[in-house]
Amino acid sequence: MDLDANRNLIAAALSRIPKGDRAALQTVYRLTSAKLFGVCLRILGEHGEAEDVLQEVYVTVWRKAADFDARRASPMTWLIAIARNRSIDRLRVSRTSRNMEAIDVAADIADPAPRADVALESVQEHTKLHGCLDGLASHERAALRGAFFDGNTYEDLATRMKVPLGTMKSWIRRAMFKLKACLDQ
Amino acid sequence: MSDTFDHNGLPEDELLAAEYALGTLDGADRASAEQRIARERAFARLVTAWEERLAPWAAEIPELVPPPHVWDRIASALPAQVPRAGLWQSLAFWRGLSFAAGALAAGCLAALLYFGAFTQTEPLIATIESGGQRHFVATIDLKRGTVAVVPAAFNADATRVPELWLIPPDGRPRPVGLLRADAPVTLALSGELAALAKNNAVLAVSLEPPGGSTTGLPTGPVIGTGKLTNL
Repeated sequence: MDLDANRNLIAAALSRIPKGDRAALQTVYRLTSAKLFGVCLRILGEHGEAEDVLQEVYVTVWRKAADFDARRASPMTWLIAIARNRSIDRLRVSRTSRNMEAIDVAADIADPAPRADVALESVQEHTKLHGCLDGLASHERAALRGAFFDGNTYEDLATRMKVPLGTMKSWIRRAMFKLKACLDQ
Repeated sequence: MSDTFDHNGLPEDELLAAEYALGTLDGADRASAEQRIARERAFARLVTAWEERLAPWAAEIPELVPPPHVWDRIASALPAQVPRAGLWQSLAFWRGLSFAAGALAAGCLAALLYFGAFTQTEPLIATIESGGQRHFVATIDLKRGTVAVVPAAFNADATRVPELWLIPPDGRPRPVGLLRADAPVTLALSGELAALAKNNAVLAVSLEPPGGSTTGLPTGPVIGTGKLTNL
């Protein structure tokens, strides 16, 4: 299926959900659940918990579909944000991130090569993000990765990278500033 | 939330939006960011912009099909449906789409040739399609009491199976049987179904849990319909 068609299918199905169309939710589920399950599992690290959160994600989609605005956001971005946020909420309840292994910056070579992904509509966007991430210092990139993929807090990251909390906040804030400047060019 | 750290150029709100989207906030900071998203449109937009910037990173996360019971739990967590409204909705859907099945010729002919044995009686044929895309071609042999269904351009689904329905003019879908995405299937038609299989009845395919719908009516999305006609 071509990528624009996929994006349009998801957006069209989302737009039918506020009318109470269960089949539309099922269509969204069919097209996106493998990606979102991957996202939940990456953050939570455990199948049972990832399944619970995935259920919460689609119930949230059912309730909040009217908030999705196809003119402002891509449907996959909107769905991934819900999956990440529900997973992070679940992590915060238990007060600890699943992945708390020490991060060795020296071992952080460049990010893995950009990969095409059918669920995300734009390979170009991915390539651009990677270009900008590669422009960051390796400790900044490692900290952002820990936050994005492992759901780490500032405190978690400070522990994992063995630096004071204030230093970690400065790293991430500087990294976000540089990232925005690069991406918005 | 005020603090003594250098912001390195991002304005306060923009920074908070970035931190929320990245996921580094904890406890009260995260809760207060969530409240601002709910109340302040401008702030919510900053968060959305950061989600857009970061989302492409998720392409690195491998996809994994969740087990089938996850959908069942989601479906049972949704508010109960009003059956009458549901039926009317689907009726409108079936009837509306049944008109789309006008031009059949080529695919039907191919199916007829494929099942070349149907010379002894007048077969009924339907091209099951939606939006101009043909999914299945079905041929009903009334003499034998069978329906043969050939997949055309149907994409397999890891969690659902295609199920065939016969919809006579009363509009109530009758289950016929499960289809395959990768091979032709021949299903037996009961006497009751065979009696309903006439010109202008409609065949439809929905996606159902493995084993098919347990309610006697389609539960999943209808992916295509086609009107039965004599060739």
